Amino acid sequence: MIRIERYNDPRFGQVCAIVLDRPERRNALTPAALLDLKRCALELGAEEACRAVLVRGEGPMFCSGFDLSLCKDDPGVLTSLLSGLSEVIRTLRQLGKPVVIAAHGGALAGGCALLGGADLVITHGDAKLGYPVVTLGISPAVSGPFLAKSVGIAAARSMLLDPRLISGADAGRLGLAHVVDTAEDVLPRAQIEAVKLAEKPGHAMRATKAWLNEVDGSNDAASAGAGLAASLSLVGGAEERLLLGEMLARSSKRST
Amino acid sequence: MSGLATLSIDGRIARLTLNRPEKRNALSLELLEAVHACVDQLAGRTDVSVCVLAGAGGTFCSGMDLKAVLDSPGAPLRLLSSIAELTLKLHWLPQVAVARVRGAAIGGGCGLACVCDIAVTHPDAKLGFPEVDLGVCPAVVAPWLVRSVGAGRARRILLQGGTMSGLQAHTVGMVAHCVPSEELDGFVDELAGRLALAGPQALRVTKKLLGEIDGERLTKLVRDGAALSAQVLEGPEARSMLSKKLGERGS
Repeated sequence: MIRIERYNDPRFGQVCAIVLDRPERRNALTPAALLDLKRCALELGAEEACRAVLVRGEGPMFCSGFDLSLCKDDPGVLTSLLSGLSEVIRTLRQLGKPVVIAAHGGALAGGCALLGGADLVITHGDAKLGYPVVTLGISPAVSGPFLAKSVGIAAARSMLLDPRLISGADAGRLGLAHVVDTAEDVLPRAQIEAVKLAEKPGHAMRATKAWLNEVDGSNDAASAGAGLAASLSLVGGAEERLLLGEMLARSSKRST
Repeated sequence: MSGLATLSIDGRIARLTLNRPEKRNALSLELLEAVHACVDQLAGRTDVSVCVLAGAGGTFCSGMDLKAVLDSPGAPLRLLSSIAELTLKLHWLPQVAVARVRGAAIGGGCGLACVCDIAVTHPDAKLGFPEVDLGVCPAVVAPWLVRSVGAGRARRILLQGGTMSGLQAHTVGMVAHCVPSEELDGFVDELAGRLALAGPQALRVTKKLLGEIDGERLTKLVRDGAALSAQVLEGPEARSMLSKKLGERGS
């Protein structure tokens, strides 16, 4: 479900995209998809000709989060999902070139967490973003260290503890999104922004991104690790089994 | 004193003015030394509560003097270290530092505005950090910008380069106030007057505490940032882009 998109259009010359391509499941993330995401990011990171990475999703929304249906028979899947997500965010952040995410429609739970790895997030006013997972007995703590950097501690508290979704416009006000487009198809704008970043002097961009990572604590593996550990500590527990189990039972009833 | 920076004190209010208007107050080593001398003088003055930092002429500060940077080997590090130390001194200055940003605050000049406690500008002023566009890394100012607008917004501002309007700078939180150009001086005078009426000790203790919340790590980051900026400036990418830029200007 993850593929690299290289543009033959000279206008997008030095931008390459990573595409979440599972629109029928609203780009729900599987452990394999997260491994692929990381692999694609590293591949583009090593490619000299690629000067900026765009991450986008096919279908009605950017990403609906984890594919929790996989957790039905094997609770261990959630462990792989959480660890994989943390790895992907850190990999995007450590790439020596700018990362732009086009978040159209929605970026939910793990999908919203991905934004924490981007340098520039483009969304639109009525997109839906947030972490509605505490209702399932799952802790979004894994995104905490990254989210706190983009929106500050107070807003991160409210976003991670309150399962409500916020609008793209609010995400812009909080600093979670940097550009709030009027059109729902944010891709053209995201491509323009990515091209602008790709055209800037590569050495200065690499040095500046690496320095920002140092200044804002993105290089602090301990805090990222603590966030992941907090999320993992609940996996397989009674509360999660009950709440997640109820949700999965409801959704399988709906689909039959 | 060379006259490249002037300090006047009236009651509890000090006015520190960058005074090289013909070069839009570009930060040369000489100008920086003059500013250091003024700031050092203020550091011991418990009878002064406010310091208004401004630029003579129509521009607050156009940033690093690029010509001076390319002049001699070692110049980038000397200049950047001086900027770094000046921002640290302003950070720990016992007076409340108010930046009156008229016209433009670019690169290191915008960094000076960010490190001040309260920055005021007007809607059509030009502020920002176009360093990456010139192949330069804005490492010295990054810690101050991250502190003032948060890491997410700082990332966008520094990686996108270019400049923004005073209004946009106010929207992202880089400046505290944005008032019509013709009201700027009056607004800052009123603000300084208000601050001067406050308990001097209360202001001093509060500012010191805020500085301590930022932590000692900031000092190290700012100093390391100077070394990194200088290193990138000495590299071939920055050298060729800057020579080109200066050539364009000269012709």
